[in-house]
Amino acid sequence: MEDLESKHYQELMALKKEYEEFVYIVSHDLKSPLRAIANISSWIEDDLEGNDNAEIIANFSLMKGRVARLESMMNALIELSRVNRLELDQYEVSIPELVKECAAMATTTPNVSFHYRIEIEHEKVTTLAKKLEKVLFNLIENAIQFHDKDKINIFIEIIETNLAYEFAIRDDGPGIPEAVREKIFNIFYTVSAKDLVETTGAGLTICKKIVKLVGGTIELVSGEGSGTTFKFSWPKEIVL
Amino acid sequence: MMISKLVNILLVEDDEVDVMNVKRAFSKNKIENPLYVAGNGVEALALLNDPDVPMPKIIILDINMPKMNGIEFLRLVRQNDKFKNISVFVMTTSNEDSDKINAYDLNVAGYILKPLSFEKFLSSVSTLKDYWKLCEM
Repeated sequence: MEDLESKHYQELMALKKEYEEFVYIVSHDLKSPLRAIANISSWIEDDLEGNDNAEIIANFSLMKGRVARLESMMNALIELSRVNRLELDQYEVSIPELVKECAAMATTTPNVSFHYRIEIEHEKVTTLAKKLEKVLFNLIENAIQFHDKDKINIFIEIIETNLAYEFAIRDDGPGIPEAVREKIFNIFYTVSAKDLVETTGAGLTICKKIVKLVGGTIELVSGEGSGTTFKFSWPKEIVL
Repeated sequence: MMISKLVNILLVEDDEVDVMNVKRAFSKNKIENPLYVAGNGVEALALLNDPDVPMPKIIILDINMPKMNGIEFLRLVRQNDKFKNISVFVMTTSNEDSDKINAYDLNVAGYILKPLSFEKFLSSVSTLKDYWKLCEM
């Protein structure tokens, strides 16, 4: 029995090492040729200065955009791999203040209105504040980024229960079609074409991993055409 | 009028594209300082010890290199009385905290992440130039 446990432990450690090596390869070794492609394309563009062939200019712009996207995707992979390892300090934050700061950070256009319903007894909590901030920021940013109307309304609800804070982020955007709802937490999946909204499609995957880490739950509640609501619970006490 | 003397710069970099990046950035920024290039820490030490090569005042140093990496090289530089006062700028793709801590513990003047675009690379090199111009006064 003990031998079997030891064997499993060794296998687990070997897998962990393999995983860390994989992440290292993605973050360092693969980035190097990627940067080379980006740089060499800039040199060629530079050497072609004065050339007004619109097709060449447009193609260069396309290529640079794709290289930048590939870099963003690799950065997202690295970030995802580090969720369980980095920024694990717990410190005291005010939940309403944190939510409002995230809303301000995620707001890139002036046509966004936030509507709050905050029903909590204890505003301050000692928690994995950086992780909570990441989840809130990603969900609010998504609500704004994928909105399809001129005026954007975001409804944020926070309710305190005995064991957790229950968050709901709702928007009045296009909603998420039933057929793709199972896929939205998959890494690099995007509902609309990446050319329409420049995004890596990793934000929700990272949110889900963080919420799982703290022992909470996250779910999508959406009807197509009637906006999107993401609900997640964040335990008051987090034991890692 | 103050007469300035162009300081010598040693680039320690194994990636050919990054070497060309620095050379291009020098040319674009009209930097005429003599630039010596070594492909790793071992080659860089050989250059520093070569009496026919002028002593650099600035080293631009990559971290991930074969044979002897940037941190190992930097440790030897700081232990040597002849070289320990050379200003060293790390220029790397490594965003690892351990590399940053090791580098600053070894008294680097700056830690620059290699940017993805050449345009940003140009501005990084331009910032470096502002620093070494102070050394030339």
